[in-house]
Amino acid sequence: MLLELIGDTRIVFFGGKGGVGKTTVASATATALAAAGRRVLLVSTDPAHNLGHLWGVRIGDRITTVREHLDVIELDPAETTRQHLAEVGHTMRQMMPEHLHGEVSRHLELSAQSPGTHEAAILERIATLVAEESDRYDHVVFDTAPSGHTSRLMALPELMAAWTDGLLDRRAKSEHLSAVVRGLSPTGRDHVVTGAVDPVDRRNQQLRSILLKRRERFTHLRDVLTDPAQCVFFIVLTAERLPVLETAEFHAELRSSGVRVGGLVVNRRSPADQGGFLAQRRTHEEEALTTLRIDAPVVHLPLQPTEVTGASGLEAFARLL
Amino acid sequence: MSFREKLKAFSDGLTEYYAGPYRATFIKARQQEDDLFMMLVLSEALGVPNPASYYTLELLPIVYEDFHAWHRRMGMEHSPLENIQCC
Repeated sequence: MLLELIGDTRIVFFGGKGGVGKTTVASATATALAAAGRRVLLVSTDPAHNLGHLWGVRIGDRITTVREHLDVIELDPAETTRQHLAEVGHTMRQMMPEHLHGEVSRHLELSAQSPGTHEAAILERIATLVAEESDRYDHVVFDTAPSGHTSRLMALPELMAAWTDGLLDRRAKSEHLSAVVRGLSPTGRDHVVTGAVDPVDRRNQQLRSILLKRRERFTHLRDVLTDPAQCVFFIVLTAERLPVLETAEFHAELRSSGVRVGGLVVNRRSPADQGGFLAQRRTHEEEALTTLRIDAPVVHLPLQPTEVTGASGLEAFARLL
Repeated sequence: MSFREKLKAFSDGLTEYYAGPYRATFIKARQQEDDLFMMLVLSEALGVPNPASYYTLELLPIVYEDFHAWHRRMGMEHSPLENIQCC
């Protein structure tokens, strides 16, 4: 049923409370899609990566093929930040006298520790993957960090686009004033004709081109995430009181970010016919689920006798979807 | 100097006389606008949380050039920011 809900949607997210089995469900879904002949990229955005443990292979921050049609990557925010800072640092060192290079490094080190940096790094990687890799794959499946982080992540492209817009407005105003000043100078007419690039203009152009590039990325990501035809989000939960309550909140947050929630996946449902203990749990689960008042399709996945691990375990689990 | 050139010089002088004060005003306005921009980019260093410090970083190399001029303009002999020591 889950596969029908996904259909041809290219970007698929799995999120939910910690420990409900997001990674397992995301991996099984990716396996099922790959088994159906689609090319799939499975991405983990949780800094505490589990994909490698689940698949029983070392993965890390590079695209690794784990089975036919299925590639996997674990995004590493620390490494992304380090590379970003190295690039900025390189440009800065070129522009600064040598005795200040120490200052540059110190400033960058502080920035690496500032709150929000890892978030931004993950966002950056998601934006790149969505923009560059999604042509090579039929589906990009994201296994995300627990709810709180992810709802913030989904709201970020909007925030960032607004922020770059603000900065671009400031630049536009400053450049407008520059133009006025030039018009007021007695040689203003000649200036325009010669087109000599003065340092202020050059700097303004650099600033604007950096900001425009950023904004383009953010708006592209935001457009993809909020397009119901291109992106769908599934909330994974277990049939217990706390995950159910968190799901309601998470659902509301995703909706306010404009992300389409394609369905809820209730993982580890107890069987009704395997003894009194599990039957009692089953009744309890039904009770918890009645409080779940969300207008979205619900997919139930049964509790497994053993833990789902390795490629073969995932193949078997994928057949239940 | 020919009559033509003299006339031209006189005309430029007049333009400068009338336009000069306005130009100064606009230059001032632009500087203020640029200063605000720099403060937004450097906000983290000033202790104001910046939601986008990861991205403002890449603007730093460009505003750095301007930073020295800014603190001199503000009447500070040396950089007021501990982690940006330009002089």
